[in-house]
Amino acid sequence: MAKYTVKRLLQSVLTVLIIVTVVFLLLRMLPTDYYFTEEELIKLSEEEKQDRLMAAGLTDPILVQLGRFYGELVRLDLGTSSRVQAGLEVTEIMTSRFAVSMKMGLISMGVSLVIGIAMGIIQTLHKDKFFDHLGTVYIIFVNAVPALVSYSLILVFGTRIFKLPSLYSTNDVARTSVLPIVCLSIGSIAYYALWTRRYMVDELNKDYIRLARIKGMSSKDIMVKHVLKNAFVPLIAYVPASLLLTIGGSLLVERFFSIPGMGPLLTDAIGRYDASVVQGCVIVYAGLGIIGVFLGDIMMMIFDPRIKLTGRGETR
Amino acid sequence: MKKKKVAKILAILLAAAMLATGCGNGGTESSSASEAVDSGSESAAVSEESGSEEAEGGEESTPADEGGEATAGEPIKDFKTWASVSGGDLSTLICQHSEGTDVGTVGANCLSPLLEFDNYGSLVPAVATEWGTEDEGLTWTFHLRDDIIYVDVNGNEIGKCTAQDWITSLEWILNFHKNAGLNTSMPVSTIAGAQEYYDYTKGLSEEEAKTMDNSKFLEMVGIEAPDDYTLIYHCLDKVAYFDTLATGSCLYPMPQGMIDKVGVDGVVGISNEDYWYSGPYRLTTFVPNNERVYTRNESYWDKDCTLFDTVTVKMIESGDRDDELWETGEVDHTELSTAKLTTIINDPSNQWYGNLAETRVAKFSYALLFNYFKLDKDGNPDENWNKAVANDAFRLSLYWGLDLSNIWYLTNQVNPMSLENLAYTSQNLGVFSDGKDYVNRVIELLDIPEGDGTKPRRYNQEKGEQYKQQAMEELGAEGVTFPIQIDYFIKAGDQTSLDSATIYKETFEALGTDYVNFNINTYVSSAADEVRKPQLQSFDVIGWGADFGDVSNFVNQGFYNDDAAIYSVERFNLDDVTDEHVIEQWEEYTRLGRLANAETGDKDKRLEAFAQAEAYLVNNAMVIPWNYNVKWQLTKVNDYSKMYAAYGNSDIVYKNWETSTVPYTTEDYERFKAEYEAGGK
Repeated sequence: MAKYTVKRLLQSVLTVLIIVTVVFLLLRMLPTDYYFTEEELIKLSEEEKQDRLMAAGLTDPILVQLGRFYGELVRLDLGTSSRVQAGLEVTEIMTSRFAVSMKMGLISMGVSLVIGIAMGIIQTLHKDKFFDHLGTVYIIFVNAVPALVSYSLILVFGTRIFKLPSLYSTNDVARTSVLPIVCLSIGSIAYYALWTRRYMVDELNKDYIRLARIKGMSSKDIMVKHVLKNAFVPLIAYVPASLLLTIGGSLLVERFFSIPGMGPLLTDAIGRYDASVVQGCVIVYAGLGIIGVFLGDIMMMIFDPRIKLTGRGETR
Repeated sequence: MKKKKVAKILAILLAAAMLATGCGNGGTESSSASEAVDSGSESAAVSEESGSEEAEGGEESTPADEGGEATAGEPIKDFKTWASVSGGDLSTLICQHSEGTDVGTVGANCLSPLLEFDNYGSLVPAVATEWGTEDEGLTWTFHLRDDIIYVDVNGNEIGKCTAQDWITSLEWILNFHKNAGLNTSMPVSTIAGAQEYYDYTKGLSEEEAKTMDNSKFLEMVGIEAPDDYTLIYHCLDKVAYFDTLATGSCLYPMPQGMIDKVGVDGVVGISNEDYWYSGPYRLTTFVPNNERVYTRNESYWDKDCTLFDTVTVKMIESGDRDDELWETGEVDHTELSTAKLTTIINDPSNQWYGNLAETRVAKFSYALLFNYFKLDKDGNPDENWNKAVANDAFRLSLYWGLDLSNIWYLTNQVNPMSLENLAYTSQNLGVFSDGKDYVNRVIELLDIPEGDGTKPRRYNQEKGEQYKQQAMEELGAEGVTFPIQIDYFIKAGDQTSLDSATIYKETFEALGTDYVNFNINTYVSSAADEVRKPQLQSFDVIGWGADFGDVSNFVNQGFYNDDAAIYSVERFNLDDVTDEHVIEQWEEYTRLGRLANAETGDKDKRLEAFAQAEAYLVNNAMVIPWNYNVKWQLTKVNDYSKMYAAYGNSDIVYKNWETSTVPYTTEDYERFKAEYEAGGK
């Protein structure tokens, strides 16, 4: 296990380094126009533009810039923002946004897990009956309709009928979080419901369940002790990654409801050529993704002792 | 039994989840959504007719009679507004470190400038009670109030505002390592020694530049404070308009105490908690990409002004969302999107039909700027275009022959004629001593007939045709082939730009496809790198807003052989032109413009000289004035009561605004406009 963890960790560091280097180089290939606003592009002379790029260290040769970047990384310094929130450390910008995204994400994940799994169970219990069909309609609706359309409908419905505010506000967190959390949850609810139903139905058709019934085991015991437990194992791999990715925020929902989270940060930073923030975000996202997969593997192993991550010198 | 109970509870939960997530109501909502789309496309289909009909109706066609009632609301105490963050939120709270209006607005509401505007755009005292020059603009003296204090975010007094704060601010701006070159263009072009100090600090190491005291700065730069409440600027030359810079970010104060508190490296990223406030408001909440709340500053020096208790600015991801926020009562004004305006204007029973109000003319003046030295994709001169654009008759055929009303209709369907722009400079930037607007004087000098407000004044199909025939004859003799290819560029995938380019194409090709062929080309990500640097475009349409209150800010941009003339270098590409006639024309324009610049003693003479230069420019169609920006809104604010600035980036100050808790009607707005114009100069 320890060997697996160390190996996986080293692989992860290397992966993050490659990703961040590629992003660094790609960013430098963008036209420097991105550094300026439209008005600045019209009004600044070429010399003034060069001065500003020089002040941001963007006129140095690319290898010098790359070396400086690696040097900062070694010191665990993600640099300072020059455009998104000029003068602030990237870590400071991201920390304040993590908290908001994570809070929203965790609540929506809790809601999704409870409702989604409950939906899956009900659909299984009423297979091929009304509630099963109703659940299927919901799942198809959520997956078929573009997210922005669903969000718009929720917005109109929520603001007109329930008189809920359409934008998030730090001065009224409870009321203003309702619509974003609903939007964040609808997709995950459908996901958990779909897969809970599928895995439970699979389990119900297996021989050991038939045997349990023949042996006189109660339906409740069969469902709770066998079907649900076994159906939950494949789902569990998805949970840590989802949990960690909540930190990354949702670009669409956070933009839509003006939530000051991580979601729009990366696109803002690219749009404004804020290299330090872009690199900081990429490191975080890549790191979270890798840790999420890693933790998913570990959890699967814990929930199902038959699964081994290492064996005969091989990793999973 | 238990199993059934559990199943029932779970079933109820499922139904509740579906209801909460909007699934159950999808049908109703989507039908209303498609209704909006239908009405939008319907109006687009009849746009040409209805545009002219509405315009013909003029004032009578406005919806005031239908649903508007006299507004009887109370003044708003807590004002709610919005700002778009499509390009990102405030990059800093330090207005000296930004040239954008968003940061300028923070400075204007949180700090007190030397001077500010009244609602007619005239300069009025703020921190400076008296100001002036005795040597035609070489030296400017400002006498400051002695009762202005700084408070912290909680309103506690933390310091006095003195002339020293303007010295600290200018040093900050001109120090390359402190301010990265932002906001330097006006100081270096007007204040003695500013360019030298900027260059000097650029040559220093970052540490040296950030730790130096003010002695070198005061020795090099033309600024002094003989006492705490007197501030003197020494200009490079006679700068007749220097006082108009006093409303802009480059001449805002910066207290040394604030710098000391957060350190030099902490200034640009300062939080609202550490900021020092001397303006009408304190920024009590600032959550990037979410909202900011301004709270009235009880220690503000102007005790007679009207302020809101709070102003909440909500950040939205695009300018279209404000319509929704208006519907739900979350904001107190909205600029209507084209779709929303169409919906309202086509439905007299719409609840907002009687509340449509036209915005005031924005300070930007849009003009068509020709590329006088176009290249083809291989980098070779596009001889066909270059010969055509050098030909007076060709340019004049466009000047007289293009009917721009459909282009204006794209922005303003109710009253497209309000976008008509006949001069190159924007309105209200220069005013003669008898009150006449400079732009009106320019128009007098142009050979344009009076209009009745129903059709474009300049458009003259017959004249356009005559010039077209002349151009075809003259250019044909020079070997130019027809139709002349006009290359116009838009960003790939940008539907709004494509819609507008399509109308451009129709407008240009209405001159005859035997004459011109309008090509809509695309670039991928950078217009500058992919289009302007390789000089591929035939023309640009650019909106310019003045940075200071002088016509030279427009006129000087086209000077021939002048590196500081941005249009000349980057848009006209005059440096590459070899055609003698083109060079002669631009040299003559430059001569006239320089004569105007040299006139510093008499304001009227100066404006008249600029008007002569501009009339030469426009009469020869060296540029073609294109449009202003006027939109429609629903609002609880009387725009005519607001501070008005025809220049600068810090004119949105929430001070002395007349508001109503009930939305104003179209009638109200017509009355406001009439009263304003009657009270004007």
